[in-house]
Amino acid sequence: MEDTAPTIVGPLATNGPASPRDIPPDAIIDLDEVRRMLSHFHYRDFQEAQELILSALQEVNEHFGWVSLEAADVVAEHFGTTATRVYGLLTFYADFRTEPRGKHFMLLCHGMACYVMGSQRLVQNLEDVWGIADGGTTADGELTVQVVNGCLGVCDRAPICKLDADYFGDLTVESLNEAIRAAIAGSGSWRDAHHPVAAGSNHD
Amino acid sequence: MTDRLASKDAFDRFQRAAADRWQRMWDGDQLVVSVQVDSSSVAKGALRVLAACREATAGTNAIVREVSGNGAMWMEPAVEVKRPGEPPIVYGWIAAEDVPALLAGQLRDRAVGVRGTEAFAGIPPLHEHSFFKHQLRIVMEDFGVIEPGSIEDAIARGAYSSLAKVLFDMTPEEAIAEVTAANLRGRGGAGFPAGIKWESGRKARNQPKFVVVNSHEGEPNVYKDRRIHEGDPHKILEGMLISSVTCGAERAYNYIGGEYPLAIKRFRKAVADAERLGLIGENILGSGKSVEVRVRTGGGAYICGEGSALMYSVMGVRGQPRTKPPRSVEEGLWRRPTILNNTETLANVPAIINKGGEWFSQIGTSNSAGTKMMTVQGPLKRVGLVETRMGITMRTLIDEVWGGMRDGHVFKGVQTGGVSAGPITGGQLGYAVDFDSMTEIGGMLGSGGFVVFDQHVCPVDFARYLTAFNRVESCSKCVPCHRGNPALVEILDRIRLGGGAVEDLSLMERTSKHIIDLSLCGLGQVAPMPLLGMMKSYTQDFLDHIENHVCAAGSCPISATRVLAAAAD
Ligand SMILES: Cc1cc2nc3c(=O)[nH]c(=O)nc-3n(C[C@H](O)[C@H](O)[C@H](O)COP(=O)(O)O)c2cc1C
Ligand code: SF4
Ligand code: FES
Repeated sequence: MEDTAPTIVGPLATNGPASPRDIPPDAIIDLDEVRRMLSHFHYRDFQEAQELILSALQEVNEHFGWVSLEAADVVAEHFGTTATRVYGLLTFYADFRTEPRGKHFMLLCHGMACYVMGSQRLVQNLEDVWGIADGGTTADGELTVQVVNGCLGVCDRAPICKLDADYFGDLTVESLNEAIRAAIAGSGSWRDAHHPVAAGSNHD
Repeated sequence: MTDRLASKDAFDRFQRAAADRWQRMWDGDQLVVSVQVDSSSVAKGALRVLAACREATAGTNAIVREVSGNGAMWMEPAVEVKRPGEPPIVYGWIAAEDVPALLAGQLRDRAVGVRGTEAFAGIPPLHEHSFFKHQLRIVMEDFGVIEPGSIEDAIARGAYSSLAKVLFDMTPEEAIAEVTAANLRGRGGAGFPAGIKWESGRKARNQPKFVVVNSHEGEPNVYKDRRIHEGDPHKILEGMLISSVTCGAERAYNYIGGEYPLAIKRFRKAVADAERLGLIGENILGSGKSVEVRVRTGGGAYICGEGSALMYSVMGVRGQPRTKPPRSVEEGLWRRPTILNNTETLANVPAIINKGGEWFSQIGTSNSAGTKMMTVQGPLKRVGLVETRMGITMRTLIDEVWGGMRDGHVFKGVQTGGVSAGPITGGQLGYAVDFDSMTEIGGMLGSGGFVVFDQHVCPVDFARYLTAFNRVESCSKCVPCHRGNPALVEILDRIRLGGGAVEDLSLMERTSKHIIDLSLCGLGQVAPMPLLGMMKSYTQDFLDHIENHVCAAGSCPISATRVLAAAAD
C-alpha cells in the first residue's frame, strides 16, 4: 500500500492528532477501499460535490470506525477540496472519530429520559471503573464509548446503551459493567452493528 | 415493475388497483400478520419476532408484513394478527418464542385492542384504551397500518392524491391559501405560520429556489420526526413535493439526523419508489412540473437543527449559524430562496390539501390549530409517542395517556421545551398544551417533548445537565454563548459541590441575561431558560444547597461530602 499513500502537505502533516497509542493493524484504513467507496459518489457540479463531502465522510467513518488523516486526504482529493477543510468537518461533527475505535463500541445514551433515570451515574462509572470519558478508549483497546447527547429513541427502557449490536435497557451500574464484561469475553465486535448510513449520492 | 405514471389518469388507475389489492388482503381468507418494527422495538427484539413470524408461516398463504410501531412503546414488541373472518387484533409484549402460540390463536391475555370500531371476543377496540382514547391522528394515522416500505400500501390509503390535486386541480396560490387558512404553525419549535412562509417563498424572485425539510432532531428530549420517517415516509415526501410545487422550487432536500439509520433507510426507499412511479423527477405525472429530491444526513451536531446552520451543513461546511437578515426565504441554501420546514409541519400538509384548511383550523385551539405529536420521557407507566389535539391539558396527558407515575416514583415536575425552556410543577398541570399557553409560566411546547421527573432528580443538577448540554452544543461562533454557558456551568458546579453563595443566584441571573440578549442565534438566546426556570420553580432546592449544604435528591456531590463528613465524625 506504500505506493498509494498520499503525501500530506501543510499543517495537517505536522499538527495532526498524535495518536495516543499505536494504531492496531486491523484499524489501519485501506485507502484503495476508500477510493472504491468514493467511486460511488458521482457529482455533476460544484454544488453536488460540496453536498456529498459529509456523506462520504460518514460512510468512511461507519465502515472503518474512524477517519484517518490519510483517508481524509483521499476524500478531499476526490471532491477537489483541501484536506484542511475536510479535517475541519471531522472535528466539528460529533459523530466522526479521528482515532480508531476499540474492539467494542458503546453508545451510552445521555438524553433526557436517560438522565432523569440516572445515566449520570453510568457516565461516572465509566470513568471510575473503566477509566474512560466520552469518546475515550480503554488502555487495552477493548472498549470505546461515545456518550450520546441526543436520544436513542428507546426512552421507555431508560437508561439504555447500545453495545456493539445489542441494546441494554433499564441499566444500573452493575448491569452496565456486566454487559461490558460479557462483550469483552464474547466474540463480537463493533462491526456487528455496522449499519451503513446509506449515504451516497442520489444517482448511484 | 410498474412503469412511470405519465398522467393523472394513470395515477388514478394505479390508485384504484392498489386500493383493490389492499381490500382483498384484509377480506381474504389468509392470516395477515403485521409485526411492528421501528427503531425502538428493534432494541427489544422486534426483528427476531419478524423472523419468527416468517419462519412459522413459511409454506402457508399467510401474509407477514413489516409495519412500524403505533407509538405505544410500552407494549413493544407488538404484533397485529388478523385471522379470516375476524378483525385485526394488536398484541403487546411478544417475544420471538411467543410467536407459535400467538399465531395459534392463544395469548389472548396479551391482546391490547382491536384495530376497528367494535369489540371482538371481549377485546375492546384499541381506541378505547386510555393511551389511544385522547388521541387524534393526522400524521400518525397510518402508523402500524401501512408497510412503510410499500408505496402501494401508502397509495391505497390515499398518499399522493393531494399532490395530484395540487398539480391538476388547484393553482399554487389556492394551495397556499389552504395552508394559510389551516393556520398551520411550524412544529419545529418556533411556531411560525407555514402559509406565510410559503407565500414569501413563492414571491421570492431569485431562481432556483429550494425546499428543505428539517429532520435533524438533535434535541435530547424528542423522538418524533424519525418516527414519521419510520412509520409513514410518504407523508413527508408528499408534503415536500406539495411545498416545492406551490413555492416554485425544483429541488427539495430532506436533512435527516445521521443517528437514525432506519429512518434514513425507509425514507430513501420511499424516494426510490416514488421516483420509479414518476412522482418525483421530471414532469411529474405529466404535469410539466419537476422536482428533484435529495437526502442529506447530519453528523451529530445539535446546532445543525438551526435553519442557517443546517443549510451550511448541507453545503458541506461547518454548521455555524449566521446573522439574519437576510432570512432563508430570501437567501438560504446556495444563497437562493429556501423554504425550510420541520418534518411534522410538512407531514400535516397532505391532509390539509385533501380536507381543506377550514377543517384543520377547527381542530385544536384558536391560536394553535391541529394536532401535535408529543413524546414523553421519565418514570411513567406508558412511555411513548402520541398525537393529540392541541390544547389537551398536561394533567390528562400524564395521568391518563401516559398512565401516571410508575410505582415508587413521586412526581416532581415536567421539563418542557427541551433545552430551551423551564419546567412546570404539580400546581400547573392544568395548563393547556399548545403554542402559547405555557409561555406565561416559563414553559414551552417546543417540539413536543416532555420530560417528567421525580424525587430522585435534583433541580440544581438538572439545571446543570441542561446548561451543560447547551455548553457542549454551542458552535463557539459568538462569545456570549461560547463563554457564557461554561460560566453558568461553573457556578452551578460550585453550588453542587457545596461552595455556593446566595449571591451566586443573582450572578447567574445577570450572566443569563447577557447570554440571552447578546447571543447570535436561537441556541444562545434561550440557553439559560432552563436554568432560570429551575431557579424560579425550585428556589428552595437551590437555597438548600447553598445555605444548608443539602441535596435532597442525593445526586449532587455535596451529598458525598456529607457522607464523608459523617463517616469522619
Ligand atoms: C439550536 C436550534 C436547534 C434547532 N433544531 C431543530 C430541529 O432539530 N428540527 C427542527 O425542525 N427545527 C429545529 N430548530 C428550529 C429551526 O431553526 C426552524 O425554526 C424550523 O425548522 C422551521 O420549521 P417550522 O417552521 O416548520 O417549525 C432549531 C432551532 C435552533 C435555534
Ligand atoms: S449563540 Fe451559540 S450556537 Fe448560536 S452562533 Fe453563537 S456560539 Fe454559535
Ligand atoms: S433519552 Fe435515552 S433513549 Fe431517549
